Amino acid sequence: MLENVLNAVAAGLIIGCLYGLMCIGLGLIFGIMKVVNFAQGELLMLGMYISLYVVGGFTAIGVLGPYTAPFVGALIAGPVLFGGGALLHRFLLRHVSGLSTAARLDQGGFGQLIVTLGISLILQNGGLILFGSTPASVRTPLSAKAFIIGPFAGDTMLFLNEGRVIACAVAIVIAVALWLVMERTRLGKALRAAADNPIAATYMGIDVDRAYGIAFGLGAGITAIAGGLMATYLSFTPFVGLDYVIIMYSGVVLGGMGSILGAFWGGLLVGFVQQVSALVLSPQLQNAAIFVVFLLTVGLRPEGLFGRSAERA
Amino acid sequence: MLEVKELSVSYGGLRALQRVSLSVEAGRFVTVVGPNGAGKTTLFKAICGVVPPAAGDVRWDGAPLLAQPAARRAHLGIAHVPEGRQVFRTLTVRENLEMGAYPRAGRARWAHTLDRIHTLFPILHERADQLAGTLSGGEQQMLAIGRGLACAPRLLMLDEPSMGLAPAITETIFERIAQIHREDGVAILLVEQRVAEALELSDHGYVLETGRVVLDGPYQTLLADDRVRRSYLGMGEEDA
Amino acid sequence: MRVGGGARLRRDAIAMAVVSVLYVALASLVHNSYYQLILTLVPIWAVLGLGWNLFSGMSGLVSFGHASFFGIGAYTVTLALVYLQLTPWLGIPLGMVVGCIAAVLIGLPTFRLRGHYFALSMLAYPLAMLYVLQYLGFQEVPLPMHREHPALYLQFAEPFYATLVATGVFVAAMVAGMLVENSRFGLALLAIKQNELAAEAAGLDTRRWKMLALMASGAISAAAGGLYACVLLIVTPDSVFGVIVSAQALVVTLFGGVGTVWGPVIGAAILIPLAETLNAKLGDVIPGIQGVVYGFAIIAIMLAAPEGLFWTLRDRFWRRPPPPAKIEEHASSLAVPAASGTLLEVRGLSKAFGGLRAVQDVGFTLAHGEILGIIGPNGAGKTTLFNLLNGVLPADAGSARFDGQELRGRKVHAVARLGIGRTFQVVRSFPRLSLLDNVIVAGYGAGLGDHPAAAAAEAALEAVGLADRAARPAGELTNKELRLMELARALAGRPRLLLLDETLAGLGREECDDVLAVLRALRAAGMTIVIIEHTMHAMLRLADRFLVLDHGAVLAEGLPRQVIEDRAVIEAYLGAKFLARHSAAGQNA
Repeated sequence: MLENVLNAVAAGLIIGCLYGLMCIGLGLIFGIMKVVNFAQGELLMLGMYISLYVVGGFTAIGVLGPYTAPFVGALIAGPVLFGGGALLHRFLLRHVSGLSTAARLDQGGFGQLIVTLGISLILQNGGLILFGSTPASVRTPLSAKAFIIGPFAGDTMLFLNEGRVIACAVAIVIAVALWLVMERTRLGKALRAAADNPIAATYMGIDVDRAYGIAFGLGAGITAIAGGLMATYLSFTPFVGLDYVIIMYSGVVLGGMGSILGAFWGGLLVGFVQQVSALVLSPQLQNAAIFVVFLLTVGLRPEGLFGRSAERA
Repeated sequence: MLEVKELSVSYGGLRALQRVSLSVEAGRFVTVVGPNGAGKTTLFKAICGVVPPAAGDVRWDGAPLLAQPAARRAHLGIAHVPEGRQVFRTLTVRENLEMGAYPRAGRARWAHTLDRIHTLFPILHERADQLAGTLSGGEQQMLAIGRGLACAPRLLMLDEPSMGLAPAITETIFERIAQIHREDGVAILLVEQRVAEALELSDHGYVLETGRVVLDGPYQTLLADDRVRRSYLGMGEEDA
Repeated sequence: MRVGGGARLRRDAIAMAVVSVLYVALASLVHNSYYQLILTLVPIWAVLGLGWNLFSGMSGLVSFGHASFFGIGAYTVTLALVYLQLTPWLGIPLGMVVGCIAAVLIGLPTFRLRGHYFALSMLAYPLAMLYVLQYLGFQEVPLPMHREHPALYLQFAEPFYATLVATGVFVAAMVAGMLVENSRFGLALLAIKQNELAAEAAGLDTRRWKMLALMASGAISAAAGGLYACVLLIVTPDSVFGVIVSAQALVVTLFGGVGTVWGPVIGAAILIPLAETLNAKLGDVIPGIQGVVYGFAIIAIMLAAPEGLFWTLRDRFWRRPPPPAKIEEHASSLAVPAASGTLLEVRGLSKAFGGLRAVQDVGFTLAHGEILGIIGPNGAGKTTLFNLLNGVLPADAGSARFDGQELRGRKVHAVARLGIGRTFQVVRSFPRLSLLDNVIVAGYGAGLGDHPAAAAAEAALEAVGLADRAARPAGELTNKELRLMELARALAGRPRLLLLDETLAGLGREECDDVLAVLRALRAAGMTIVIIEHTMHAMLRLADRFLVLDHGAVLAEGLPRQVIEDRAVIEAYLGAKFLARHSAAGQNA
């Protein structure tokens, strides 16, 4: 029993870190641009497929071995979707978000919803055309191996899937790197300023539309990397985004909008609840458990678990 | 240096500004006074490019300013300290100042201007790592002015810096503005409700009412004007 | 029925009747069963859109989770038929009742949230239901066949009849939507959408209206779901509780136009056939191409018409001149019964925000028919004091007795109903509504019936001198007229006390004098007024007494002349040079 609990907790933390990274991507877009992006799940999906094809390419030319290729593939998905995201913003989202719609009664909210839903449909079905509907996965031999910790406290042993542990480590490194960028660099500060008060940011000479484009690109890229990492342990189809977009929103809202760390902790919590609830709940109810926790938390603390308040109290 | 010509702005049918003209020469101190909603803030927003004008022209150093995107204007040496302070509440005091120094000119002189800002407002040095949202109203106003100075501007536009502040702090703020004007040679364009204090600091004043300039001139002329005395200094009305 | 709503209702009803008859006629000509199915689905999705619009479109609270109600309707009809052999004719109403109950259970916790939090939380409900149903083993529930009684079980051999039934449900939903739109219900929701706080202050119990809207919306959406189950003859959790269903509700409405019954109709009529045709024509050739085309189509339309087709087309092609004003001699007057003595007594009122003491131990009394001017620097706590008096904020300590009744602890709308009207610094009009409707909302808020509310609104407009503009849309008003409209709104609740927050702000001299004349006339009719204002020249002419606030506390109180000579007031508010200038000016004059 103890062994089951410990393994579920460990799996929850590892999966949680990957969810955390995925949520940071959405958190950047939601927190900075205040746009509800329904297509975020499809960005995750694209990350998975890009990683898949990159790994295939690497294997074909024999540059990288099967151990490193999946992780390099995931990292390559990031910059590709950064560019893709920035283009999406430039040609579509810019017209329904940011300063151009701030004056409208609903702040352009309705237009944003339709546009991101449309993007989601296009990517999903475009994915179907390009990639087909057969479930795919990025196999790494590491997924079949486990770090074994123990035995301790009698014969309790902890099995940690090597592929997931490495994916988790990569996710943490990227999350920390992104956090440093947001906290320490001029770009990160400018993004936070544009999120905090877009008009005042304009007065400072910050091009808010461009900042939003970068934020959207970063958000897309980060989620894509998370997708690439997750592709190493699950099989996916072009419709995989539907399953995860809700999880991402739960994580981001739980963590409190507008905070990178909050999004990460929120995602971690969601992954944790999902895995640990497997101990007592049937698989169908695991996701229901997430939503119950989500509704309870949001009901009790509408600003999110980790939302920080900078108001003069 | 700054030349506003016959500027008109409409908000959905409502004329907020009607053919307003004013000018600020380098190193001068110009004040715009008028009742709430007379269009003072709209005038500032139009100069800074946040609201589009319906007609008219704004020139900066003789070149058309309206053609420049809003975010470019800070890079040209125009700093805007907006109404209600609008500090970045979730950023620290120091980060707020760094954002003020976002344009190239500000970065080039960063060490120097930061020193200068800390000399003018020592509290900003003490509170450097505090989130700006946790500052008091007066401290936020000082931060907003410091943030404006950080881009090493040639024109500092201040929108109601006294709003919601205790009188003693207002006095300090006005003294600092005068000091900035005197010692740093920055031109000032000030919008104020506290008409008497504001006009006394300035070289030239404009009176804005319902979107129109109804009066302008050197401050002595304005202070002596009957209409200004009655409407803005609250004098003589019930005796008249 | 809202006064004046009749004409529009009649027009819309005729249009709807024509559209429905033409639609059924068209459907009767279609013999291909696949095309007939599309024709059946259009009204069903339109009904879901109408349900969504009734809540989200009208109240402005976006719901991403209307699949909850759709799915509940579908499963109720299906399970009732499977286990109880209950005909859908009863199953659908039963589903609507369950949808209504679900709306209450969902609304109670979720209405505490605002904005994006509300929208996203709504998303969680259908998904939780989806997983629970999967867990319970209802993955795929086919409807048992009862071909022997096609009419009883809605299992027609001739699919045209399904279209006929769907159109019938659609007509019912349209009628419900139009009745809401043209009733006090709709007006209350519009008021909430534009400014919830102002609606509360006008006396509307916003929580109750939102709940009613969600219940009606839940019932309508459940009807759509129930019908959908009958048409497809099989339900799965994904097909009725899935994100796609919630998205469909949004898409048809946003595409057609939010806040009008015609939005979902236009959206469904264009998008459903488009999606289905694409699916049929292209789906087999290149799977997925239909989704791509559909996605591009909705994006393109949204970029071209961000507010939806209905509003964009209407604004472009159909700018009707407003009908001439038709204000009858007002049967009611705003005169307040004469009374004397104390109307409002405030004692020790305090409010702190964390460490900041916004209002400290403020006390004053107000006699019937008095005008009290509150002055003081910005941030002195003047508006906070109003917020404490009318229940926007709870006070930490102290009491405020209005005509002997304690105000503390009462909600905003309850305070309004006691007879306290309030205006706000920032006027938020409902720009598409007529001036009269803008004011009628406040009359409803005061608990007046349709005709009394209209009469009170007309009287209020008369009192502020805007009677001749009653039929104009509020978007056309000038600053002064907006201020007067705000005043009329406060008057429409027939208050005995008016709290005015910077009513003169931004007015030129003459405009200011006009408003002063209105205020004086109100006082002459017995009204008691507390006014916050910076415009000293006006205040000196208007107020009987001044109350000066500084740092949340009373700095001085008394006759205007005494107050402006008070040393402390001069230092804190008027400025050191005020008196010097003031007396100099006085001598000169």
